[in-house]
Parts: sequence; C-alpha cells; structure tokens
Amino acid sequence: MPGHSPILNVNGLSLWYGETQALRDISMEIMDRAVTALIGPSGCGKSTLIRCFNRMNDLVNGCRTTGTISFHGQDIFCHQTDAVSIRQRIGMVFQKPNPFPKTIYENIAYGPRIHGVRDRKQLDSIVEESLKRAALWDEVKDRLDDSAMGLSGGQQQRLCIARTLAVGPDVILMDEPCSALDPIATAKIESLIDDLKKQYCVVIVTHNMQQASRVSDYTGFMYLGELVEYDRTVHIFENPAKELTENYITGRFG
Amino acid sequence: MSDKFHDEIAALKQEVLVLGALSRDMFTESLIALSKRDRTRASSVKAKKSELNAGVARLEDEIFQTIALFQPVARDMRVLICSLAMVSALERIGRYGKDIANLVLELPERPCAPEATSLFHMGDLVTGMIDDSLRAYGTEDLSHIAEHSGRDDTVDALRKTIFRESLTHMLEDPRNITPCASYGMIARYLERCADHSCKMAEKVHYMVTGERVEIK
Repeated sequence: MPGHSPILNVNGLSLWYGETQALRDISMEIMDRAVTALIGPSGCGKSTLIRCFNRMNDLVNGCRTTGTISFHGQDIFCHQTDAVSIRQRIGMVFQKPNPFPKTIYENIAYGPRIHGVRDRKQLDSIVEESLKRAALWDEVKDRLDDSAMGLSGGQQQRLCIARTLAVGPDVILMDEPCSALDPIATAKIESLIDDLKKQYCVVIVTHNMQQASRVSDYTGFMYLGELVEYDRTVHIFENPAKELTENYITGRFG
Repeated sequence: MSDKFHDEIAALKQEVLVLGALSRDMFTESLIALSKRDRTRASSVKAKKSELNAGVARLEDEIFQTIALFQPVARDMRVLICSLAMVSALERIGRYGKDIANLVLELPERPCAPEATSLFHMGDLVTGMIDDSLRAYGTEDLSHIAEHSGRDDTVDALRKTIFRESLTHMLEDPRNITPCASYGMIARYLERCADHSCKMAEKVHYMVTGERVEIK
C-alpha cells in the first residue's frame, strides 16, 4: 500500500482454540507509522488476531496456529523468539483500563525497571517522556506519587498507554481502548492515537465503526475468522469492494 | 435503527423524484408556453417558483439532518451526496423554466416573430435527458444515462445552429431582433439544462458504482 512500509507481515495465519477454528488463512501487511483498525461483529476473530501479534495467545490452553507473522523479518511464532522481548516491542492496551494498584510514577517505571533500568534520573525522564507522549503529563505532573487508582477512567487509560510506551515499543495494540470511556475521554484517546502514529504503528480493534473511520488509515473487516476486506480506510467507508463489507458498515447485516 | 434509516433514505429518494417532476414540469411547460405564446401558462410556471424553493430547502434540510443523525457510510452516504447534488441541479433546471417563462411574457405576438423549430427540437432532447437522469436515479439502472454524452453534443451543436439562424433573421428584418435575441438566450438556457442533466448523470453513476466519471 503506497506511502507506508509494512512492519508486520501476516502470512496464511490460521488459529484454533482446541477444535474451534478462530482465524482462517489470514494474510495482511500492517503498516508502520499508521493506524490500522480491525472491525467486525463479535466473535469474528479480531481480538484473537491482535493477540497473535504479541503472542498473548500463548497463554491460552489448547491454542495452536499455522502460518507466520514476521516482525522486522523475524517470525513471531518461532521457538527461538523470546515472547517477553516481543511484548516489549509490541505493547498492548486493553478494553478496561488496568493500572497497577501503585502510584502513577510506579505504574510507568515498573516496565523499564523489569527491563533493567535502575538509575533514578533515567527512570524520571522515562516517566516524564512517556506521560507526555500519552498526553497525560500536564494533568498528573504534580501528583506522581498519588495512587493511579484515583485517576478518572480516561486518565487511567492514557496511563496504560504511557506504561506501554515506557518500554520503547514499535507497535501498540489496542483492544477496544475506548469502550469503557465517555465521549470526551474517547476524543482525547483518539487524538492521542493520531499523535502516536507519527512514531509508532498502532493497531486498534473497535466495535465503533465511526471510531475506525475517524482514527485509522487502514481498515480490515473480519467475519467468521476471515479477513474479508483490507484496504485504505477511505476506500472501505466510501466504496468497499465486497458486498459483505458494505452490508456490515451500513448496518444491513444478518 | 438501521431499518428506520434505510426507510428514511428510500422516502428521501421518492421526495427527490417528486421535486424532479416539479422541476421538469416547469421546464417543459415553459417550452409549451413558448410554442403557443401562452401567457397564462407562462405565468403559472412563474408562480411555481416558490413551491420549487420550498421543496429544495426542505430536501436540503432533510439530507443534512440524515447525515448528522445517522453518519452514513459507503452506498448510503453516496445516495445522500448524490441526492444533494440532484436537488441543486433540479433547482437550476426549474429556475431556467421560470426564466424561459419570463421571456415568453416579453415576446411579441406572432406572426411578427419567426418560428423557432430547432429550439423545440432542442427542448425535446433536453427533456429526454432530464427524464433519463431522473429515471436512472430512481431505478439505479445506468443504461438510461449511457448515451448522455452524445446527446449533450447534439444539444451543443443545436445551440450554435440556433444562434446562427437567429442572426440571419435579425439581419433580414430588424423587427426580429427582440424575439430572436430571446431565442438565443433560451437556447443557452436549454444547453445549461442539458449540462445539469449530465451533472445528475455523473452523480447517479457515482451513487451506483462509487466511481467518478465525467459526462459532457
């Protein structure tokens, strides 16, 4: 696709949970420094797909895959690939904000510490930089030692984004990041996503089609485990190639 | 919600077709008024202007509201965008009908003025184009507008012919200057109406296929 270069290459990916096939032969290129949205009805496999990108499905019993996902030329599923380092470079933000029951500062510093950063000054600067990039710094800079649990839902979600940024990822996966937030907090996250794509690859799963059309450069429509259509967002929402996509986005489904 | 929305879109298309019938009617009635030098008919065309204005304003409001409330995408959005363009083209066509009616009211009685046969031939062609643009919009069948480009060329050629004919009549007899100047003007209006039909055809093509084409 013009203007962007791929950072993740998905090739013939299929996935089973036990006997149930959740993904069917998916191939797609996820572009760097762009926002890719995955849309589709519940159970279509979009969350399963982004969980493959940082091997979160490893944690599910009876889950197996065929096909490959390459990230910087390295197969994510390969046994030599370290899942922890993959998750450092491909971070994830979840539907419900899930800050640790610690201070705001400690939430951000936690990841870098685990990865071996001990120097207080360096940690301070990582915390400040991450909070700034997550557009939260101005709201919390005077109360970094307060509990993160005292923040509003929208602030907690931006804190979780900052926590992801603190370990220096290339890719940020977001699974319904705004579904628990009010419209104002949602608008803040959306404009943050727009900023983040200048430096990161963002992949977002959303049920909200207007959100997909507002924030993303590329949109993938999934149905029953298949990637039905994947194209530039303007194309998907102005003139989709597949009738199934058209029916879904215009609400003529079922 | 979606059923309600799609019912609204269907109802809106019907309203655009009703406005189309009014606008077409103003256009064809003005030409009949011209051919019969029927001042009463010309006056009744003029009187329809306020109905046209009200219809245009109401449809524009409805389209804006539908966009604001339902945030349509894909084909639904294209139908609304096309409908909005149709409304403004139909408004222009209706107004040209009113402009022709105005000229009819100023024309001298026959037999002073020469006949304007080519003008009526041109009017028939343009009426056919307007009808087919509306038909394509209503049925989403693009075969109705497939020949628009060629028909528009014929209309353009007729306008040039009428201009020359009018000049000849004016040179022959200065008393022809007033009616023939009007004929030249009317030929120009008809040509513009053909252009608006082509514009409608382009939008209908976009609505149905999502692809932009130029029809001229």
